[in-house]
Amino acid sequence: MNSLYLPKESFIHNLDPRTKMIFVAFVVLSSFILNDPALQLLFLVFLFPLVVAAKLVKPYLISMQFLLLFAVLIMTVHGIYNPIGVTPVFEIFGGLTFKYESMVYASVMSFRILVIGTAAVLFVMSTHPSDMASALVKWKVPHSFAFILLSTFQIIPIIAREAKIVMEAQQARCLDVKGNLIQRVKNLIPIFAPLFIITFMKVHQLSYVLECRAFSREGAKTSLRDTRIGYKDYAFLIGILLFLAIEIYLQLYLSGFLNLTTDALLTYSLIGTWVVFGFMILKFIFKRVQSLVGGVADA
Amino acid sequence: MLKNQRAIEVSGLSFLFPDAEVKALRNINFSVDYGEILGIIGPTGAGKSTLAMCINGLVPQVIQGELEGKVYVKGLDVHKGNVAKMSEHVGFVFQEPENQLSQMTIEEEVAFGLGNLGVPREQMEGRIKEALQQVGLLGFEKRSPLALSGGQQQRLAIASVLAMKPTIMIMDEPTSMLDPKGKNEVYDVLRSLKEHGMTGIIIDHEVERIAEYCDKVLVLNEGEEQMFGPSAEVFAQIDTLHQLTMHAPQVTELLHQYNQKNKQDVKLSTSIEEAAAILENAYIKS
Repeated sequence: MNSLYLPKESFIHNLDPRTKMIFVAFVVLSSFILNDPALQLLFLVFLFPLVVAAKLVKPYLISMQFLLLFAVLIMTVHGIYNPIGVTPVFEIFGGLTFKYESMVYASVMSFRILVIGTAAVLFVMSTHPSDMASALVKWKVPHSFAFILLSTFQIIPIIAREAKIVMEAQQARCLDVKGNLIQRVKNLIPIFAPLFIITFMKVHQLSYVLECRAFSREGAKTSLRDTRIGYKDYAFLIGILLFLAIEIYLQLYLSGFLNLTTDALLTYSLIGTWVVFGFMILKFIFKRVQSLVGGVADA
Repeated sequence: MLKNQRAIEVSGLSFLFPDAEVKALRNINFSVDYGEILGIIGPTGAGKSTLAMCINGLVPQVIQGELEGKVYVKGLDVHKGNVAKMSEHVGFVFQEPENQLSQMTIEEEVAFGLGNLGVPREQMEGRIKEALQQVGLLGFEKRSPLALSGGQQQRLAIASVLAMKPTIMIMDEPTSMLDPKGKNEVYDVLRSLKEHGMTGIIIDHEVERIAEYCDKVLVLNEGEEQMFGPSAEVFAQIDTLHQLTMHAPQVTELLHQYNQKNKQDVKLSTSIEEAAAILENAYIKS
């Protein structure tokens, strides 16, 4: 399997792809409705049980590392340099001050990335691509569009292998792939030009094949994989609606009274991301050193 | 009517590619009866693939160009319908196994054509099983097509076509990208199809295989029909084949050499058993 889909038996996996697509849309919407770092953080905490329910905790955390990288950058750089900040919160060495307004701005932005990322990872990892395609077709998305989406998964590994072949062939003709950076960038042309042509030819051939498999035939099409919206999906959708109502209520009536976004929360979340980031760097260095030591030992 | 009795009837077929000066096909005439297998042989660039694609309508509907002449398949004028409609009657297997695969799992690959034909889901499972059984890929349903070997991929492509239940099967060099084991696998499938009474057209360079499996042979060279007839007759004309830079099956070449060296005139057979018997007889006589 070339997609990110991880087949597991869980409540989330058994939901209809359409429900999950609505869920992703809901999360994106909520991340904008909840325009407050504390509420977004809370929302993120509420999403986590779903990840646990989908039995995807480990792959989820691995993919979150990359998003955390963005969060660290945004929170640090914006917190210090964003000009909307007035009230200083705390100062680090060199007279660099984190200011309240800019920290709120940065936190909202980075938590939004994390929240949307969580929903996206949940969707992609728990939905079979073919199911997604057939669900889209049920939403009256043109068949050919759904097919394009699906065949992308199929063609990526093929292109990757062709790229390797082209690269080796060009190396055999004295193409220098280990030179300096400029040389390597220049070398992309002799690799990518044939690769594009090969890919186009393959796609062309595929179009003949599709024609021979009656792809452009008029009339109703059927699909081997069936997706059905059942009571579970309705329950989930009602849950989403309830949550949305609570969010809107919170935002409309309680935003004045409820001020969860304190200096402490902002500072702790900033330091928290730093600490996690620090661990990531340590792990990276540890692995590097390990491979280096291993390499020496091998030699 | 004559054209209703034959599975495939081609008359006066000529084809010109838009950017070419010379016609890719010139005045091709042949016919194939139900249950017969036709082998098309010829040097590279002879127009074999173009001819095959004329029979299911890919030429000139998808691959554009000027076409003259008539092609009837099961009494239907191919150039009046479209390829998608024709695919219910004519299955087409291409040269490269990998390019023919587009789905995530093997069962979905086979189900793809069925889905396009609008076969209800209840019938799909049975037809998928049947098709996979015929090519010997039963039990692989949930795997990715990319994880298969070349021979298996080509068999899968054949299964995907078979599931659509065509009466006529066209194979355009189905084994040229495969290793000997893969070739054997594909030809075993072809043999079983022949036993089931499938009508077929197969393009291949291996004359031994063509002689063994095909009832009729069509020899093409530079877009022109050189020979057409029962395979034994065609392969007996070794001198003509040599002129076209082709050769007959090795046993036939052996008998031909024997005839030339010993100034004899034994029958030019294409089957090994018959050839052995003929040589034995000739040896006893001398």
